[in-house]
Amino acid sequence: MSEGIKRRDFLKVLGVTGAGAGLVGCSTDRVEKLMPYVTPPEDITPGVATWYSTACGECSAGCGVWVKSMDGRAIKLEGNPNHPISGGALCARGHSSLQALYNPDRVTQPMQRNGDEFEPIDWETAEGILTNAIQDAGSATRFLSGRVGPSLSALMDEVVAEIGGERVEYEALSEAPLREAVRIAFGRDEVPHFDFESADLILSFGADFIETWLSPVEHMRGFARSSGVDDTDGSKTRFVFLGSRLNLTGQNADDWYPIRPGSEGAVALALANALVQRGADAGPYNSIVQGYSLSAAAEQAGIPQDSLEELVDHLSAAEAPLILGPGVAGQHRNATASNLAAMVLNAVSGAIGSTVHFDQSLTGAATRPYSELFGLIEEMAGGSVQALVLHGTNPAYSLPPAAGFREAIEGVGFKVAIVSQMDETAELADLVLPDRHYLESWGDSNPRPGLWTVQQPAMRPVPHFDSRPCGDLLLSLASRLGADLGAETFHDYVRNRWSDLHADAGSPVGTFDVFWRQVLRDGMAELPTDAAAQVSLQSPDRALTFDAPALDGDEDGHVLVVYPSSRFGDGSGANRPWLQELPDPVSKIAWHSWVEIHPDTASEMGVRKGDIVRLRSPHGEVELPVFTYPGVRADTVAVAMGSGHESYGRYAEGKGVNPMRLLPAEQEQPSGALVHLATRVEVEPTGRHRRLATIEGSDQTYDRPIAPAVALAELGQGHGDDHGGYDLQELQAMGGFVPVPTEGRPQDYPLPGAQYGDYDPAENARWSMAIDLDKCTGCSACVTACQAENNVANVGEDQIMMGRDLHWIRMERYYETVDATAPGPVDVRFVPMMCQHCGNAPCEPVCPVYAAYHTPDGLNGQIYNRCVGTRYCANNCPYKVRVFNWYGFSDVPEPMNWQYNPDVTVRSEGVMEKCSFCVQRIRQVENRATVEGRDVRDGEVVPACQQSCPAEAIVFGNIRDPESRVAQVVENERTYRVLDVLINTQPAVNYLRKVTFHPVDDIHV
Amino acid sequence: MATVTEKERGAQTHPDVRKYAEVNTDILQMLSRPGKWWWILLGMSIAGIGLLAFSWGNQIINGIGLSGLNSPVGWGAYITTFVFWVGIAHSGTLISAILFLFRARWRQSIYRAAEAMTVFAVMTAGLFPLIHLGRVWHAYWLFPYPNQRLLWPNFRSPLVWDVFAVSTYFTVSSLFFLLGLIPDIAAARDQTQKGTLRNRFYHLLSFGWRGTDRQWHHFAKAYLLLAALATPLVLSVHSVVSWDFAMAIVPGWHATIFAPYFVAGAIFSGVAMVITLMVPIRKVFRLEKYLTIRHFDAMAKLCLVTGLIVFYAYLTEFFMAWYSGEDPERRVFWNRLFGHYWWATWIMLTCNGMIPILLWFKRVRHSIPALFVITIFINIGMWFERYVIIVTSLSHEYMPFAWAVYRPSFTEMGIVIGTFGWFAFWFLLFIRLLPPVAISEIKEVLPPPMRPKRRTKEEVSS
Repeated sequence: MSEGIKRRDFLKVLGVTGAGAGLVGCSTDRVEKLMPYVTPPEDITPGVATWYSTACGECSAGCGVWVKSMDGRAIKLEGNPNHPISGGALCARGHSSLQALYNPDRVTQPMQRNGDEFEPIDWETAEGILTNAIQDAGSATRFLSGRVGPSLSALMDEVVAEIGGERVEYEALSEAPLREAVRIAFGRDEVPHFDFESADLILSFGADFIETWLSPVEHMRGFARSSGVDDTDGSKTRFVFLGSRLNLTGQNADDWYPIRPGSEGAVALALANALVQRGADAGPYNSIVQGYSLSAAAEQAGIPQDSLEELVDHLSAAEAPLILGPGVAGQHRNATASNLAAMVLNAVSGAIGSTVHFDQSLTGAATRPYSELFGLIEEMAGGSVQALVLHGTNPAYSLPPAAGFREAIEGVGFKVAIVSQMDETAELADLVLPDRHYLESWGDSNPRPGLWTVQQPAMRPVPHFDSRPCGDLLLSLASRLGADLGAETFHDYVRNRWSDLHADAGSPVGTFDVFWRQVLRDGMAELPTDAAAQVSLQSPDRALTFDAPALDGDEDGHVLVVYPSSRFGDGSGANRPWLQELPDPVSKIAWHSWVEIHPDTASEMGVRKGDIVRLRSPHGEVELPVFTYPGVRADTVAVAMGSGHESYGRYAEGKGVNPMRLLPAEQEQPSGALVHLATRVEVEPTGRHRRLATIEGSDQTYDRPIAPAVALAELGQGHGDDHGGYDLQELQAMGGFVPVPTEGRPQDYPLPGAQYGDYDPAENARWSMAIDLDKCTGCSACVTACQAENNVANVGEDQIMMGRDLHWIRMERYYETVDATAPGPVDVRFVPMMCQHCGNAPCEPVCPVYAAYHTPDGLNGQIYNRCVGTRYCANNCPYKVRVFNWYGFSDVPEPMNWQYNPDVTVRSEGVMEKCSFCVQRIRQVENRATVEGRDVRDGEVVPACQQSCPAEAIVFGNIRDPESRVAQVVENERTYRVLDVLINTQPAVNYLRKVTFHPVDDIHV
Repeated sequence: MATVTEKERGAQTHPDVRKYAEVNTDILQMLSRPGKWWWILLGMSIAGIGLLAFSWGNQIINGIGLSGLNSPVGWGAYITTFVFWVGIAHSGTLISAILFLFRARWRQSIYRAAEAMTVFAVMTAGLFPLIHLGRVWHAYWLFPYPNQRLLWPNFRSPLVWDVFAVSTYFTVSSLFFLLGLIPDIAAARDQTQKGTLRNRFYHLLSFGWRGTDRQWHHFAKAYLLLAALATPLVLSVHSVVSWDFAMAIVPGWHATIFAPYFVAGAIFSGVAMVITLMVPIRKVFRLEKYLTIRHFDAMAKLCLVTGLIVFYAYLTEFFMAWYSGEDPERRVFWNRLFGHYWWATWIMLTCNGMIPILLWFKRVRHSIPALFVITIFINIGMWFERYVIIVTSLSHEYMPFAWAVYRPSFTEMGIVIGTFGWFAFWFLLFIRLLPPVAISEIKEVLPPPMRPKRRTKEEVSS
């Protein structure tokens, strides 16, 4: 018998394939010309990421970021690790920039108003119209801009000077009262730097410093470093929160003083007075503070006096205390006074110089007062403004309607909006000019003296949108008006300015070209400054009242707290589905708005979670579903800003409610800030109910081994990883019912008897994670980072309502102790819950097709294209971290899909997915190590969640390597694994217990 | 006391049936022209199939998201109804095989219909593993077919066991069903006109049956063999189905009692369904002679026994949850009784625990309307039992933060209702096309026809 192919078989095969080829060849309807990628652009290697340094443009903090670009598309943002503000981390809003860049609702081309409609025009026409209108208006031109970088700001000023008009800046979230208070207290018109890391006692009178306040990422890093327990010496900074509502920042506090809104000034001064009585010096404020006794302050704040005395003890014991004012949510009619009181307390307690630094003041902080815009509105209403140029601000949305912005702007002859996406204000314009996103354009930022960050385009402009950078447009306008500003493009303009900076700084690093190249690579430059650090209290140059402010509305009503959303900020983040879908860190609600009401108040009113109530203030009314929240005072209700857009793209429109409608348009004196805490509201049930789009099932752990804590006093007393005195018992696979005690060290997982497929524990790494829950603040940056990295789709409000969120990390939030009735410990536990990559995984054996299986390198693999969708694995997952593609969620409108990470599969309908430990990053590092002929180094693999975590709570690595950081972190008495003792899953994720100052019931884990 | 022979016992079960010929006439008249109501019912069942096809098609095109399922409740009405139909499927084989082996002579007049019900119920149940898949077009991956990539299903997964259990059960029960039919189909064949469609159909299914001794001999052997083969399946299939749950670590599922508990429940629901179906058949076709009160009494007793086992299993579950001392386990059961799904649990307890208590009373067991109503309650209760086990457990697992509520969607309801149409469709065809009562076996238990005893000379003379 001859082996091989027979002649006949060969002919058969030939015939069939030939016919097949013919059929296939004929079936092509359309012939497309394909071009091979023979000569790629110089900086693009297909499949290899290029990283660009730039500056995040989301808030005024000015974080330096790295933009990951693959094949010419920006696909992910990460904090620039060398940047002193971001320190390598990034918040959820920063990540979401990409969705503003690729937002399908961006303006596609210049548009001109024609009646109620906009009609597209070309750039030449548009610039002509703009030039003519501004020429006609001349000095009756006004520029209304939001916060912009120093170069663009300078250019605007130059252009405005050229025209002869005026420039007005408006920021919805403005810390004007803080800046004014600092000016009054220390004579420095700036916002100092707050050093959380050095603080050994932190008092916040409401400032949401890890959410929106000034520089959240930097604050969170410092806060986590000081507030997270130091395992070497057991030191831990106490954080006391004083306010009527626990925001996310407050949930991270150790003690909560639920003081009445508006009583901050009295309490702070009374504390200062008590310190002065103990020998501290309030300088020129000695006489003022004498008027404030603890008893009166306690009376005003509605808390017992002895708890305030306790606070005085803490303060006088502290060497580096840090006291923060009320923040934007607490901007009431005496907000400057409250901030001043906090500053006085800082000075009295010795914080100035130790935790409050004036040599690094926050030059970029958003502090422009509303009064500037107020003046402009009056001018517009008076008809003296003929042309208005709008850029980067949305007052039609973010101001209370009572401000009359919409009415006033009608009196302006010509309105041009330079925006990248239509919003409520741009809708009022006559001409809309599409602006570039910050990731496509040049710019810079100067977040603090001497720290300059360059903003360079990370990619060519998204071709779907015929946009022009605002800077280029202004330069072109200037040249059309006959002015020469010394630059053709804004790129040149920025370079020129940096060239001057370079020269002024004494030309470091040699020539400017060398310096510039280095700046572009590093993303920043630190230049010498002469900022003075020394300040002292000065006598106030104006009289202020520190008393509780007046509130509008009925005395019986509830005080309305309108707070900035940690997801949307002032509302500018609302057009990104990632942020809409991100469950609010406090309420865990996505997509829609809610009103926070204390459970007791709610039951008095006869309303439950999800019942829709009407809030009525003297200025307006809104309807909102109730979220019962024990972290808000019984006499207070709270609503987040940022939702309820009428025009801001498909992801924002009609989602939620804008609470600004309830507020008066009033200026705080003397700062001129908009008053946010201004009114009481009547809460009236409507009898209607809705299902909340929430991911929260229960807020109680029922003492299950999920989120245990340990009291600081108990640390170091051998309450180690003892499994509550139980040995882990392992039933031998085939050996019958003979329990075999096993050593339960996580380094040894998976233990004998566990089922782990082809994994060879002796040969391979054991990838493992450690999460320090004493550092985790629940900010949820990791959730969005994971979405960006892993192409996790959005599902929308209806799907979240049904319980179908797709996030790979669920930020669980359990209330242990939250008491709004009296001062005392507050204990909220956060558990970032992702796939635990169990050594003995319950999901693996139940999958009928091996889609869930143990990879040879010890991970829980999920093979998307093998999955048939029985969902058995998810049913059997005790951690409930497997999520299912109920529909084809990944089909997003062009160009949103440009953001997808090409290293990660985009999942189709009907398959299960879950956290992969960023296996693509592990592979990449392993490949690189192989190419370089070495082993993978510890710390080289950084999953997206760890990379993003501003609190530095996550450590990842090979736990089997005793030298690795994760192995060392896990060698800690606080280490436990969720549910492990209950069901023996042998997870690869280790948690370190939260540490509390108050005693906690010891849950054996 | 004289021993009662089998024949006499048979005569007791069917005291009103006198002649063999009568059996043929009575049973085969059922296959005559159907009436108006049959057509109406058939129309309704086809409408049900239409609903099923529409809902399922819609779900395939648009995505499994049309169900109300979510995380963490990955299984809901679909798997509930799957288990429900598999459970229904159990009584047929129990009655035909196990009772055959145990020589329980009251089975003759009901076993045929029960068997048919089994086959159709398995056919219905078999749809659900497909319906509930996220990607039904890849369902064949669950079968161990040879392929180049040497990919096999995961034999450790209870779902793969399920595939084998249900397909084996379907094969064996339909073989058993068709085999038992042969002599009766031959009888029907002989009554139909040659050459008609019906005649040819019977011709095909009767496999050339002529009723020779030799054929009867082989038939009896084969029947016995298949009965012996089917018997373990009665116990194994539903045990395997129960392991879909018991093998998982979900609190409320992970219990060793599940296999016997599910088997008892399956027989409970299956017998109840047989009663529910037999009552109208008996009435419509005037089969009172064949389906006597004694039959219903026996089935009601079977219901009562299995019902008590099931109720005992409920109590055991609750006890074990408390006794375990584990909060996740305890809370699941507390939540069953008083949580979001309390109503489902109380329907289950009422229908399966309380109402069957009535069956203790002979008067109830002997009242056909009462039995009809009670068994409908049992059917409802047994559907809710599975719903309670699946949904309440999944919605309330280890991580309290991930607890969620599941509500069945319209698509799910459409499919669930549609499968009742699918089942009814086959059953309606069955009662008009195949002899729904076993002609030959009833004859076996009738007193053999005898000539009248000749009078002796003495009798004549006196």
